[in-house]
Amino acid sequence: MLDPAARRELARLITRLANAGTQEVLAEPPPAITKPARRIGFTGPPGAGKSTLVGRYVERRASAGCTVAVLGIDPASPYSGGAILGDRVRMDDAAGNPRVFMRSVSSRDAFDGLCNNVADILLALDARGFDEIVMETVGVGQAEHAVKALVDTVVLLMQPETGDGIQALKAGILEVADVIVISKSDMPGAARMRENVAGTVRFGARRSAGWDVPVIGVSSEAGTGFEELEAALAKHAAWAGAHRDAGETQAMRTRYRLQDLLIRRLETVLDELAAAEVNAASPAALYDRVVSLLGR
Amino acid sequence: MSLTGKRILVAKPGLDGHDVGAKVIALALRDAGAEVIYTGLRKTPDYIARVAIEEDVDAVGLSILSGSHLELVRETQRFLREFKGENIKIFVGGTIPKEDNEALREAGASGIFNASQRIDEVLAEIDTLLSAPA
Amino acid sequence: MNKPQNIELNDPGQPSDVTPSGIVVPEVATPDMMDPAKIGEPGKYPFTRGIFENGYRGRLWTFRQYSGFGSAEETNQRYKFLIGQGQTGLSVALDLPTQCGYDPIDPMAVAEVGKVGVSLSHLADAETLFDGLDLAKLSTSFTINGTAAMVYALYLAVADKRGIPRAKLTGTIQNDILKEYVARGTWIFPVRPSMRLIADSILYSNEQTPRFNPISIAGAHVRDAGATAVEEIAFTLVNAFAYVDDLVRRGGDPNSFAKRLSFFFYVHMDFFEEICRFRAARRIWARTLKERYGVTDEKAQMFRFGVVCGGASLTAQQPYNNIVRVGIVNMAAVLGGAQSIFTAAYDEAFQIPTETSAEIALRTQQIVAYESGVARTVDPLGGSYFVEWMTDKIEEEIEKVIKEIDDYGGAIHAIEDGYLQMRIARRAYEKKLDIDRGARVVVGENYFRHAEDRTDIGEVFKVDPGIAGKVRERYQQLMDTRDDSKAQASLAKLREAALDENENIMPWLVDCCHAYATVGEMVTTLKREWGEFQEPVRL
Repeated sequence: MLDPAARRELARLITRLANAGTQEVLAEPPPAITKPARRIGFTGPPGAGKSTLVGRYVERRASAGCTVAVLGIDPASPYSGGAILGDRVRMDDAAGNPRVFMRSVSSRDAFDGLCNNVADILLALDARGFDEIVMETVGVGQAEHAVKALVDTVVLLMQPETGDGIQALKAGILEVADVIVISKSDMPGAARMRENVAGTVRFGARRSAGWDVPVIGVSSEAGTGFEELEAALAKHAAWAGAHRDAGETQAMRTRYRLQDLLIRRLETVLDELAAAEVNAASPAALYDRVVSLLGR
Repeated sequence: MSLTGKRILVAKPGLDGHDVGAKVIALALRDAGAEVIYTGLRKTPDYIARVAIEEDVDAVGLSILSGSHLELVRETQRFLREFKGENIKIFVGGTIPKEDNEALREAGASGIFNASQRIDEVLAEIDTLLSAPA
Repeated sequence: MNKPQNIELNDPGQPSDVTPSGIVVPEVATPDMMDPAKIGEPGKYPFTRGIFENGYRGRLWTFRQYSGFGSAEETNQRYKFLIGQGQTGLSVALDLPTQCGYDPIDPMAVAEVGKVGVSLSHLADAETLFDGLDLAKLSTSFTINGTAAMVYALYLAVADKRGIPRAKLTGTIQNDILKEYVARGTWIFPVRPSMRLIADSILYSNEQTPRFNPISIAGAHVRDAGATAVEEIAFTLVNAFAYVDDLVRRGGDPNSFAKRLSFFFYVHMDFFEEICRFRAARRIWARTLKERYGVTDEKAQMFRFGVVCGGASLTAQQPYNNIVRVGIVNMAAVLGGAQSIFTAAYDEAFQIPTETSAEIALRTQQIVAYESGVARTVDPLGGSYFVEWMTDKIEEEIEKVIKEIDDYGGAIHAIEDGYLQMRIARRAYEKKLDIDRGARVVVGENYFRHAEDRTDIGEVFKVDPGIAGKVRERYQQLMDTRDDSKAQASLAKLREAALDENENIMPWLVDCCHAYATVGEMVTTLKREWGEFQEPVRL
């Protein structure tokens, strides 16, 4: 458990990392990690009840003696760049717990809807020795794939009565899920949706990986389904421990981190090119020019 | 108007349930580029200070319409100090009689606002206060 | 950083042709713009022209002033003073701990005991509050919602103890929890158990206190938070239909319970918009009850409402202007056909009203009632081309908003989901920006300001800082002297009743009050079974 001074210091470090440019973040000393946390990502569309569910889940973990860090990532307003990081209110019970550290960040202009240097922020949390790190993101486009790279278990939330299931199939996001939760499972239509999704998953591509993706109904309101969720997460952790190559996981995270840095660097370089120059040159010439600028 | 990169906690301490002022200022801060965390209703000063620390905000805006502003500002300031957040500024908005301004400033409020002030004035003052060295 | 521009607004130009609800009004109204068939007669379905055949001739509206602060003793003194001044109804304001279900010694209550109303946590408080007042003759109105059932139970217990037959009690409890979730914030339990508590209290009241209004479905707070005149009516009606649905599901007969449903609104400054929306609301209510719920008794189709004149239309700057505003708004309320009127004190925007400002507020009503002559003829504006056109138009607009909410999944879903809350917050933000840039005129606030205009009034009513201590002392005294085993036994029975959805919880609450269990204890007992509301925040 962190004392007030350590909390303060960690909070400030996260701010610094979230604001850091590519050079600054590379200059940060690598954090000393003795025992990496178990990382769980919760993702899903807005309104699926993620925050309430995460709040309940975290509260349960903390009551069971776990220390948990929560990183919530909310989208920025495209107009002002500002953001309302309001969902904290739904995690109230957990937020008051001394075993919990909770932080919201804005996605700002991050390429994939997470936030800049998110990999470094997660490492900073890792270095504080939390048992679990819970990352909560709004699932849009590339975010799920990014989450997949960064966490051990991806929990995908879907809400009944919204056509989320169909959307998810279309977007192929079911592919990234290790565990699927039908939230608000006390709502009408939840049971049917659960069946539909379970059916789809059973015949999905992921089956070949050797992990049967469970589909669980959870109601934060009624407090039901959490034991099942915890059991599924524990089972997945055991499966991952036995079947995943730690070196490959490590490499995937490092690749993601590099991708994040390089995309930002590329954006800076592209911004440097004047419109006249872009219009005058051939794509091949421009490509070579950009590559040389990147190497500068 | 730009509060880009600033982080501000908008909080409703005490039992007063009129949150529209808090929400309006949260929206205005967002539109000025700030990252806003809103606590929801009925939060204790202790809780508000904890959130302020973890979220590493530059300022806490307290919206109070119940007349309990003095007690609530004092308590929030006390907890902020206890949690090593003494450089986090406190703003207060709501129904604050002018005669309480001095006492509120002594209790730790850097800015005091009311609903009839123009929003751009409020934002400009927040910007000035947040730009000043701590 | 751009400095705010120092706009001096002194010329609003010609009056706008758009009302604050966004209705574009004609330059001149003509006979072809109205449909006489829609109007009907006063006191007859669909009640466009009012619910009484003889308007205010039979009975004037109730003059109601809000009061209550500090301790029960002090408030009791104030009541006696107001009744001496000619007031015909009592209005009880309760402090926030009472409203949110915390006893005065609760850590959550500490800063707020006795601040915005009187602290009422147990039967001894209630006995003191109504000491020397004839409950069989007075109409008492409680602004209470989250703990309405408990406060109502306390009132019944006082009457029981004094031997006043329950059937003689008249008054109102606000008891409208849905708008608490939307705008006022004194919710306690999740929406669904709260709805049960409301239905229980209404059904019980219909049977036990047939002259009492067990709910006053309120738009006022939604309005003050930022909703337009049209939205205020629409949001209130969707909430009302949610209560009706629930009561019907519980086996209530709408022909009977609907007679005791009443409404409560704010009246703001746009004169004709205000008058016409009440005429429209009466029509929508009557029609829906008749067509959707099969209500045949005309008395049960009547839309009865009380209003507050003032609220957010009052300004902290140049506060004396508010006296004029309240006068105009008071006229609109009368022409709209209100049954009960509260006029705000001119200093309400920035302080608890003083005795002088409260008196001016009451005098305003007396001047409108007895000097202006507007109450002489029933619905004197009926048949005006413009008023009838506007009534039709507003009716259409209200129905549009009702449909939007229905399409969203109904009031309860829209509230649990934070949708209505979000709509209001956004509307409030828009309105504020409009005032700031001068698109909407508020005299003395954005236009015609003095250089150094703020609250330039000196009279500030102070709550005695010793009050909270006195309240807590009294509470402690009660705890020391009451028969604790009796109180605990009553709470245990309350818990059992809470677990059984088919049980009406009211008699158990009344028993708790008689056993001197406190409001905080009753609420805590129910919270354990029902949980607490989780606020959805969407902006």
